[in-house]
Amino acid sequence: MDPFVSGQRLADRMADALAELGGERSERFDQTYVTLAGERIQEAVRRCRDAGFEQLSDVMAIDWLEYPGHQGPRFTVVYNLYSLSDASRLMLRVNVDLDESVPSITPQWPAAGFFEREVYDLFGIEFRGHPDLRKLVTPDDLEGHPLRKDFPLGETPTLFGDGRFLDPATFRAGLMGRDPGRTGWTGGARKGVRSEQGRVDDDGSEA
Amino acid sequence: MSPQRKNGRGAQHDAGPRAAVLHEERHGAFETKLMRINVGPVHPATHGVLRLVIDLDGEQIVNLSPRIGYLHTGFEKTMENRTWQQVVTYTNRMDYAHSLGHDLAYVLAAEKLVDARVPERAQRIRVLLTELNRIASHLIGLGTGLLDMGALTPFFYTMRERERVLDILELVTGVRMNYGYFRVGGLYQDLPEGFEELVKSFIDDFPAALDQYMKLFLKNDIWVNRTKGVGVISRQTALDVGLTGPSARASGVNLDFRKAAPYSGYEDYDFDVPVSEEGDAYQRFVVRATEMEQSLRIVQQALYKLEPGPIKDPDRRISLPPREELETSMEAVIFHFKLVTEGFHPPKGEVYVPTESARGELGYYLVSDGGSMPYRVKVRTPSLANVQAIAPASIGGPFADMIVNIATMDPVMGDVDK
Repeated sequence: MDPFVSGQRLADRMADALAELGGERSERFDQTYVTLAGERIQEAVRRCRDAGFEQLSDVMAIDWLEYPGHQGPRFTVVYNLYSLSDASRLMLRVNVDLDESVPSITPQWPAAGFFEREVYDLFGIEFRGHPDLRKLVTPDDLEGHPLRKDFPLGETPTLFGDGRFLDPATFRAGLMGRDPGRTGWTGGARKGVRSEQGRVDDDGSEA
Repeated sequence: MSPQRKNGRGAQHDAGPRAAVLHEERHGAFETKLMRINVGPVHPATHGVLRLVIDLDGEQIVNLSPRIGYLHTGFEKTMENRTWQQVVTYTNRMDYAHSLGHDLAYVLAAEKLVDARVPERAQRIRVLLTELNRIASHLIGLGTGLLDMGALTPFFYTMRERERVLDILELVTGVRMNYGYFRVGGLYQDLPEGFEELVKSFIDDFPAALDQYMKLFLKNDIWVNRTKGVGVISRQTALDVGLTGPSARASGVNLDFRKAAPYSGYEDYDFDVPVSEEGDAYQRFVVRATEMEQSLRIVQQALYKLEPGPIKDPDRRISLPPREELETSMEAVIFHFKLVTEGFHPPKGEVYVPTESARGELGYYLVSDGGSMPYRVKVRTPSLANVQAIAPASIGGPFADMIVNIATMDPVMGDVDK
């Protein structure tokens, strides 16, 4: 039976059709996912759009570093597509390892512009061919990608790119008014270097 | 209005070649210089801390690039380090104008994960309060929107009605902002006494207020001339940049998740989704105003259908046992202790539930690793995508129209930056 004639939902038909591009279909909680190789994502998105998925709701990433029992590439990028006419949703997944990049779909679909920049900023996944791949939400001087599982939580000593070192004790002292410099700015000193506020030891405590 | 100005409106979002054409049209062979100016992040008309870097050719915008992140607080990371029930504290702090929309979107996704059965009464109350909150949110959008355009008075009129909605929400939740009233599996507590009377008197009075808005500004000649034909977004552009919600519906994108994928029993309510084809600033405002009417209809029906009953899923895995049981049942004490200290453990899996917030498609993508805290929370916030529509709407138009476009797009920066 031709799947395009039967009464299947668009997401079902598309998930089957994407097998041509090497897509592996899976279902979780009534949602259809298709896992593809990164190189095929542009073609897959183009085909989905032509087939009637008019809305790109989101592009997001998941870091599997601490997921119990996870094997394989570290990240997954999820493309969330929605069809207005059929009211069905299809999610495309691309598995990415730490040093890999994914082709950008922004040139063909401008909606992905901010979404991909957000993933780039918070996860450090590079999108090849993005016309304007810059940080989106974090400050320019913040090193690292906050939504990665190995990024320290707040209350953790942090070394910024320009050498500004922020340790919790100084930060709190600043907030409580016991010490000048609300955010622990120690005058451009690097970790372990003497500054006008006193020496900061390697373990982050003030001497 | 000169025809030249009109030509420039609703231009393509790829600024490059179009900018050159516009420049040519305007100046012919004269040599002129583009000026790059910065608007925001602290600016009275940018709805919070939105910053725009704009290339101006005289009065005309040839390029516009939004810079965001000034309100980024890392909500997603924080949520990944809180128990499933504690996350509700953070959800409502993103879109502070339509907090309950965020709460609802989160609890719906979490409930799908744990397979909770939410009682009828809880669902009705959720719909009722969310719609009231939507009215309050649109009232801010309308009032501050007109304020941005220089009309001071409407702000006081819309705030007057919003105050009454906030009174109702304060009575129920105890606070006027960041309600945190919904829980995974139901509600925090039942409605207080005097709730029905307050809502009824609001339902009685609000149509007259809406009528007054229509007379005062939505049909006001000055305002209509200021917004008609300004910042036109075509249906295709709306879909291209991911615009959703009332702004998209003003451009002919007939998408409302209350109709397309009904949740919380929205399929039982009788309401219309206002859609317009024109896609200009005027229609974006009118669609919002009409939506308030429809929200009021839903509130009315929800209140009518409200019947006494439980407000929490009786499942002890996710809901706290009632207070009186703690004194007589050892089991209840154990469940209580486990839920408070550790929380519940949903099965492994991933869910996404789209909802319709006051600003568009809002959905929580939750990943569970079987632990008592979410492994990954991704919020698909409508405002982030909507901010992308400011450029295609404004490029080609005069600078002052850009302010109108932001005002009518009604982004909430907390919702953009997360």
